[in-house]
Amino acid sequence: MNRLRTTILGLACATSFGAAAMLPAHADEPDAFKIGAVISFSGPYGIIGEGMKRGAELAIEHRGGTVLGKPIEVTWEDSETKPQPAVQKASRLLANGAHMIFGAVSSASTVALQGLTDQRKVPLLVTISADDRITRPNGSRYTFRTSNTLGMEMRMALEFTKARGLKKIYGVGADYAVTREGWDFYRAEAEKMGVEIVGIDYPPLGNRDYSVIIDKISKTDAEGVILVVTGSDGVTFLKQAGQAGLGKDKLLFGPVLQDELLAAAVGPAAIGANSGVRYHFSYDSPANRKFVEAYRAKYGEWPNSFAGEAYDGMSWFLDVVDGTKSWDKEKWVDAFAGSTRENSVEGTKVMRACDHQAMQVGLWGVVEKGEAPLPELTMKITDVFQPEALFPPCAE
Amino acid sequence: MSTIVIGLSMGLLLFLLAAGLTLIFGMLRVINFAHGSLYMLGAYCAYQIVQTTGSFWLGLLVAPFLAAAIGALMERVALRPVYARDHVYQLLLTFGFILVIDEAVRLFWGLEYKQIAPPDLFSEPVAILGSQVPTYRLFIIGFGALIAAGLFFMLERSRYGMVIRAASGDPEMVQTLGISVSRIRTFVFAFGSGLAALGGVVAAPLLPIELGMGFSVIIDCFIVVVIGGLGNIRGAVLGALLIGMTRALGYTYAPSWVEFLTFVLLIATLVLRPEGLFSRKGRAA
Repeated sequence: MNRLRTTILGLACATSFGAAAMLPAHADEPDAFKIGAVISFSGPYGIIGEGMKRGAELAIEHRGGTVLGKPIEVTWEDSETKPQPAVQKASRLLANGAHMIFGAVSSASTVALQGLTDQRKVPLLVTISADDRITRPNGSRYTFRTSNTLGMEMRMALEFTKARGLKKIYGVGADYAVTREGWDFYRAEAEKMGVEIVGIDYPPLGNRDYSVIIDKISKTDAEGVILVVTGSDGVTFLKQAGQAGLGKDKLLFGPVLQDELLAAAVGPAAIGANSGVRYHFSYDSPANRKFVEAYRAKYGEWPNSFAGEAYDGMSWFLDVVDGTKSWDKEKWVDAFAGSTRENSVEGTKVMRACDHQAMQVGLWGVVEKGEAPLPELTMKITDVFQPEALFPPCAE
Repeated sequence: MSTIVIGLSMGLLLFLLAAGLTLIFGMLRVINFAHGSLYMLGAYCAYQIVQTTGSFWLGLLVAPFLAAAIGALMERVALRPVYARDHVYQLLLTFGFILVIDEAVRLFWGLEYKQIAPPDLFSEPVAILGSQVPTYRLFIIGFGALIAAGLFFMLERSRYGMVIRAASGDPEMVQTLGISVSRIRTFVFAFGSGLAALGGVVAAPLLPIELGMGFSVIIDCFIVVVIGGLGNIRGAVLGALLIGMTRALGYTYAPSWVEFLTFVLLIATLVLRPEGLFSRKGRAA
């Protein structure tokens, strides 16, 4: 009898332990999927944050606000376009149970976040920072970039140089490491193609007066001027170049020189400037048509690059997470690496397992005068470069 | 030769940006950190006026007065109570103004870049000695020279300038003569604020109008003011021209050395002639 009692008790205990062992999987299942978004709402890139927020929110809305059967909660934090606040705020979000981090905007902030998310083994979704080092072979296991890299954009500029048959080029690059590396790559590859580099200037970041450089360029026989500058530097250059009539006999172009936001800041002098475009509302794909229609219905304006890229990246990542039917972050990471997004807003994107960089087409356009309902100055997409021409194999 | 024309335009634009800063320091002994924010405010006000009326000239005329009114309010409400205290209070106060003005601009105009085109009169460049020089640059040269001459005569040759200088040098004596030193101080701060805004309006057709534009300009303003001599209008003109020419010639012949040369000039001035390269002993303005 005692043996029987012991056996029953033993079985009961074993069952209890077994049940207890199984319970945590359900008991630990969170009430919500928490996204910690650390993006720029102030500082030099403050203009970018709002578009990213709108795009990401629309991606969440389009899936009914849930993933893995739980509601999605996003906490928005301002990185102030600086690495230190970005890390501080992301740390707080992770302490509060964020399942992933979305951000940052500036590459310096994103690199800083990578250290944190790698340490905590939490996925980091990047949809705007372009520094090539963010996604490098055998780099961060937890970082994924669904948007362009600067290297890809420099290759687009190279393809554009080739396509337009430009033989003499003058370069202007903002004086910091990433730009100089980009320029060095462009120069080496352009010279291999037989292009003559007739001059180069590295004005400081935030330069306010390009008149001397513009005067120097105008006195050369350069057919094209590549501007490896962006944001307000690109706006300032194009405004001042327009006043000196530089664009009349020289083709002005750059990897990230213009979009609708920047063209509006330049004014009519932007017309004719050529640039790589990270995303464009006019790109013809079923997913993009659906996104643009929804965005315009909700916000009453055309989505900018930041909104488009954020929508695309967030939709893709959440679909992958949902597909794993698991709350195990390692499974999300394994599933995202090597996944293919057939219905991206820019056609098919493939997340390379070797560096977690999405291979995708590269868009290139020229600023033109827009007719309503388009913005007053709008980008017309002139070239769509294929991924094979823009992404070297991981071994390189 | 075209480099000299460009250098002149760079120098006189720098002078327009720095004139208000040197005036306020010279007369009130206040280092106005908010100078860059007032410059930015001038550009935004001009943008709004141009958007509403289509006239750049109206923006050039009205925006400085709006900034001057705000400057007068800042001086009357916040600065006046701390004149007697340590300079640190004034520095902190003007730093606080930066935050207030920047936030107000963000609320009114948002984060998007704004733009003003130069007036149609200046839409085409002119050929000068083989260079295409934007006509707006020629306007900056002329307008900057006019403002410099006007300021010089107002401060050095007019009766009002004499009173301002006297109030700066010996406020108690001026007060005993029945002249309100407080009013003069308010006027000077408002005038300096208006000059900052004027710089913003003149620079606006060359640059994107954006929230951070005041921060980047303040460093250049301090370089001009230190080299020219704190509070010295004549020195500010010459200092600005020196910097403008250094940059114009530097970008032409030794572009990698431009920033280095500018800061070497600043450090050399501080070490060898801290009162400024163009200051005269006893000069107040």
